[in-house]
Amino acid sequence: MKNILYLIFILLLFQNYSYTQETDLYSLGNRRLFADFLYCQKDYLRAADEYKEILRLSDSDTLHLKIGLSYLKSGSLDSASVYFGHVKINSLLYDYSRQAYYKCQFLLNHFDIVELGPYYYNPVDKLYKFSSLLGYKELPVNKEKFLRPFEADERRAAFDFYDRKLNPPYKNELTAAVLAALIPGAGKIYTQNYTDGIFAFLATGLMSYISYTDFNAHHQFRGWLFAGLASFFYGGNIYGSIASVQIYNAGINFKLNSDMKFYLEDKNYFVPDYEFCK
Amino acid sequence: MIKTAAIILFSTLSIYAQTEWVKWGKADYSYEIKQSNSHRQYSISGNTAGETALKTLAVGYWFFISDVDGDNCPFSPTCSSFFLQSVKETNIVQGTLMFADRFTRDMDFIDRFSHYPIAKNRHFYDPPSLYTLNNLKIKYIPAGEYVDK
Repeated sequence: MKNILYLIFILLLFQNYSYTQETDLYSLGNRRLFADFLYCQKDYLRAADEYKEILRLSDSDTLHLKIGLSYLKSGSLDSASVYFGHVKINSLLYDYSRQAYYKCQFLLNHFDIVELGPYYYNPVDKLYKFSSLLGYKELPVNKEKFLRPFEADERRAAFDFYDRKLNPPYKNELTAAVLAALIPGAGKIYTQNYTDGIFAFLATGLMSYISYTDFNAHHQFRGWLFAGLASFFYGGNIYGSIASVQIYNAGINFKLNSDMKFYLEDKNYFVPDYEFCK
Repeated sequence: MIKTAAIILFSTLSIYAQTEWVKWGKADYSYEIKQSNSHRQYSISGNTAGETALKTLAVGYWFFISDVDGDNCPFSPTCSSFFLQSVKETNIVQGTLMFADRFTRDMDFIDRFSHYPIAKNRHFYDPPSLYTLNNLKIKYIPAGEYVDK
């Protein structure tokens, strides 16, 4: 009886070993499945590492593309470009990888490379047109030439950006200065800083009025003191109106650029997603 | 039999024992609010006589008015620091005009949120670089956005 009990204990202790897994977890197929799983879980950097491990054992264009995509998704654009560039010219994935490569170059602001890109790829041509909107080169005067690569549903947005870039609703510095000189605060109102304008008018007006009443009451020192303060606010307001125009115009540029960025992100930079996640 | 069971029991305990051997202790936290004027340099020495005079004026203001009054300027940098930085970045005339403009904007207590980004200290971020009339120096930040400054 005692021996049987010992035997049961020994069996209990070693039962784990008897059920050990015999499947090779590190087989190429399993690693590929695991890497795909990581990619689909948006764990892109780990997915790239896993794909690279498989790549050491078996070279394939799909792996190069998937590594490039993983790096692209994780924002490592330089590494992504390298792997997109490794896809061979005779591969079925070549066209897609080239487009993804130029998307990376566009995101890296390497507009000169995008300019030299193959124009028979429609997305590259569109990206080049957007690089001129982002200030890489002068906008083409011919609107039709600019809009040519865009499809019907994209034309409206592209034209809107083109028009906003060509005719930005800038304010004029001289107008603001003249307005501020004529009526203190009017320059700020011109740049849509309404309350700033009202307060500038009140400050200058109040100081001028106090100075005027002081001079009338023969308080020379106080009169000059408040006259000095009125000039201080008056001069500052003219200067501030010019600065305000510059900030307003910088805001116009910023708004256009951020609108373009959102549009391009929404359109995935005209390069369709390579979907392999179910 | 009992011995074997005891050995298994103890070994099981050791498997689930704590692996972190660093003793936990009280964290050394400080809840003291940092003084807003801690970055101020109260030295009045400047590179030029004009700079020294201006610095004396600003330090006098800090020492006798601002520090006593408390952290009341809604802007970052504060108006006095803005003045010093403006003069340093441009010249005395332009710096004074920049300060006059800032002083006027400081009066506007109604519509600040729709004009300025928010600095780390929760004040309105308004650096002199925006007002030097040099377009290249303008780094536009939309109003209401938080800035790590």
